[in-house]
Amino acid sequence: MNHRHNRSGLTRRQLIKGIGAASLLPLMGSAPFAIGGQNAGRVLVVGGGFGGATAAKYLKRANPAIEVILIEPNETFYTCPFSNLHLGGLRQMDAIAHGYAELEDRYGVRVIHATAEDVDADAHQVTLSTGRKLDYDRLVLSPGIDMRWNALEGYDEEAAEKAPHAWKAGTQTELLRSQLEAMDDGGTFVMVAPANPFRCPPGPYERASLVANYLAQYKPKSKVLILDAKDNFSKQGLFTAGWERLYGDRIEWVGLSNDGRVTRVDADRLEVETEFGTVHRADVLNVIPPQKAGWIAERAGVTDDSGWVPVKAETFESRQVADIYVVGDATVAAPMPKSGFCANGQAKVVAAAIAASLESRPAPEAYWTNTCYSLVGPEYGISVAGVYRVQDGVIAEVEGAGGLSPADASDATRALEAEYAVGWYNAICQDTWGTPLGGRAT
Amino acid sequence: MRPARPTHHDAARRRLLRGMVAAIAAIGLATPALAEGPWQRLDAARSVLGDAEPNTQGLVLDLPHVSEDGASVALTVGFDGELADDDYISRIDLFATANPSPEIATFHLTPLSGKPEISTRVRLNETQQVIAIATSHQGERFATAREVRITVSGCLMRNGGDQPEPLSNPRVSVPSSFTAGQPEAVRTLINHPMETGLREGADGEVVPRHIIERFTVSLNGETAFEAELHQSISASPYLLFYLSPDESGEALFEWQDDTGNSATHEASIQAG
Ligand SMILES: Cc1cc2nc3c(=O)[nH]c(=O)nc-3n(C[C@H](O)[C@H](O)[C@H](O)COP(=O)(O)OP(=O)(O)OC[C@H]3O[C@@H](n4cnc5c(N)ncnc54)[C@H](O)[C@@H]3O)c2cc1C
Repeated sequence: MNHRHNRSGLTRRQLIKGIGAASLLPLMGSAPFAIGGQNAGRVLVVGGGFGGATAAKYLKRANPAIEVILIEPNETFYTCPFSNLHLGGLRQMDAIAHGYAELEDRYGVRVIHATAEDVDADAHQVTLSTGRKLDYDRLVLSPGIDMRWNALEGYDEEAAEKAPHAWKAGTQTELLRSQLEAMDDGGTFVMVAPANPFRCPPGPYERASLVANYLAQYKPKSKVLILDAKDNFSKQGLFTAGWERLYGDRIEWVGLSNDGRVTRVDADRLEVETEFGTVHRADVLNVIPPQKAGWIAERAGVTDDSGWVPVKAETFESRQVADIYVVGDATVAAPMPKSGFCANGQAKVVAAAIAASLESRPAPEAYWTNTCYSLVGPEYGISVAGVYRVQDGVIAEVEGAGGLSPADASDATRALEAEYAVGWYNAICQDTWGTPLGGRAT
Repeated sequence: MRPARPTHHDAARRRLLRGMVAAIAAIGLATPALAEGPWQRLDAARSVLGDAEPNTQGLVLDLPHVSEDGASVALTVGFDGELADDDYISRIDLFATANPSPEIATFHLTPLSGKPEISTRVRLNETQQVIAIATSHQGERFATAREVRITVSGCLMRNGGDQPEPLSNPRVSVPSSFTAGQPEAVRTLINHPMETGLREGADGEVVPRHIIERFTVSLNGETAFEAELHQSISASPYLLFYLSPDESGEALFEWQDDTGNSATHEASIQAG
């Protein structure tokens, strides 16, 4: 297929179509001519997670004439949100599984189950694991995170088979759950938590909570120890108060200033060593290592030396490579956290920006919201919300908007927030894949 | 999943930038290495520099581009530039240009420090330039600066939390043995609130300044490394630096705070 593009986003085919190409040039940039019909442009979306699936759907909603191809190796996507409930024995894997049928059947997204292996930004071309090459007018990358193997001494892919990270949901989640189930009563679940930035700032602490909840019921002599490379973490006051209330001293947290930073992992012996030489032995060892943008981002040339992707705040187009838009955890979007909610919101901004740019219109103004629910117990929810806008070219949190759950809320309020968390999960999955409550392909 | 193949984009971009710097130098800036820097606009930095024009090559400041917790930003300063054979870096100053008081720390190094490279954690109130100035024993001066964006997100909102007990839990990690002439990293950490004197407590009153002001390391009674610390060092000061002892013996680590209290830690050193 000949699908070369030019800077305005029109394909060469469109340019040559019928009229002399030269006479078109003065018109470009002003009138959205020749758009619509079957030649509205082609967008490839890499990654069918929170960011990618949302971008694909909302591109089609913005303009059904845009050809949208979603590239995702897996037929079933397991969400990290609520994977901590599986670890805690509160939800089956099926109930966090989502498929792509709705995107294909209802919205007309073409889904190819393959891995994007390379990006040639000059040629506007992506090479798939099948060997196939696809041209694009615009490319969206939402590859999520990859682990920085060996950034933590002793922690590589092989070690993750013994000391799972479970920071991508799926087999890693099931492995950690089976280790927890096999653990003897009286054992210690040790979690190694990373420094900022990383996927889902409150995630480790929700996990510790739901593991403690499981232990309290089934292995009451067991403990949770969190060794943290930070002194402060998300919703810290709310978590610590919740832990005291529900679990007494079952959860112990050791922060950076008290030698909580782990510098070496021995996955065979289930031991970790901290910076000042304390060795902790685990019965189940969960290592959440330092992270970076999914590797395809580096291959596309959009990452900087931090390992993450700097983007233009208004559109989430790469600051380094034209016509590549990046959303979700892979980006530097602070103060927005790396959350599924943010990935979903960023993807909508990107869909609108791409639809506009393919018609040579300016992108609409962007703003975002985020709410992170965490379950401290099955009936004890807490949350933090934020609103974000572009200020002086960077993303900024709108002061006075959003905030935390009250510190002194009643049990009834905490129980309501736990219900809202389930409502949030169903709603965002419905919005992203069209399948709430783990309907694989309905 | 197959591991990422390294891309050449970054290297190419760096080459390009270096080329540009060279080109600018060629078209007539008489002393390109002495270009204007933020240190000229900061009194505290100028008082270290005096009349000297600093060399902008050789001193390297490593900080994240973006930090989500301004209360604790990891910083490393190191020197890999050129010096005369009998010269060494004897002092490094750090400044936070937009903090209420810009001094972060002054480090005094000796030949026993071995390698001029220090890591610590600093407080940065807002997005700003951080400056490092190095002075050699013979008076050569080097300067560099890095911009850090601070975005404290609501999702990471701090809750105050418990203040650590001042001067408690001194921790030191020294290598089990040193080889003569080979500097090795030494890490230290001690609990201390490092109250800036700018914060309001729960009662609405300003919490008085209370910080560790001086940290000294001596080897067999001889000062090897010294740090003057200011409010812009994070709570529970962390310092990573190098030592290059020429003989075995005792290392003494001492932290002194502004109330006159101090804590010490001893370690025996094997060198051969
Ligand atoms: C334990 C845990 C709990 C969490 N809880 C919450 C929560 O309650 N609320 C919340 O908002 N967020 C939560 N998150 C965060 C959330 O999971 C992420 O922020 C979100 O998944 C980011 O979306 P993304 O699109 O960037 O990446 P992902 O959702 O990970 O999607 C990336 C997709 O890209 C695919 N991919 C990668 N490389 C390629 C390639 N080369 N070719 C093709 N496809 C590729 C992957 O297969 C994957 O499907 C949690 C995370 C964890 C770990």
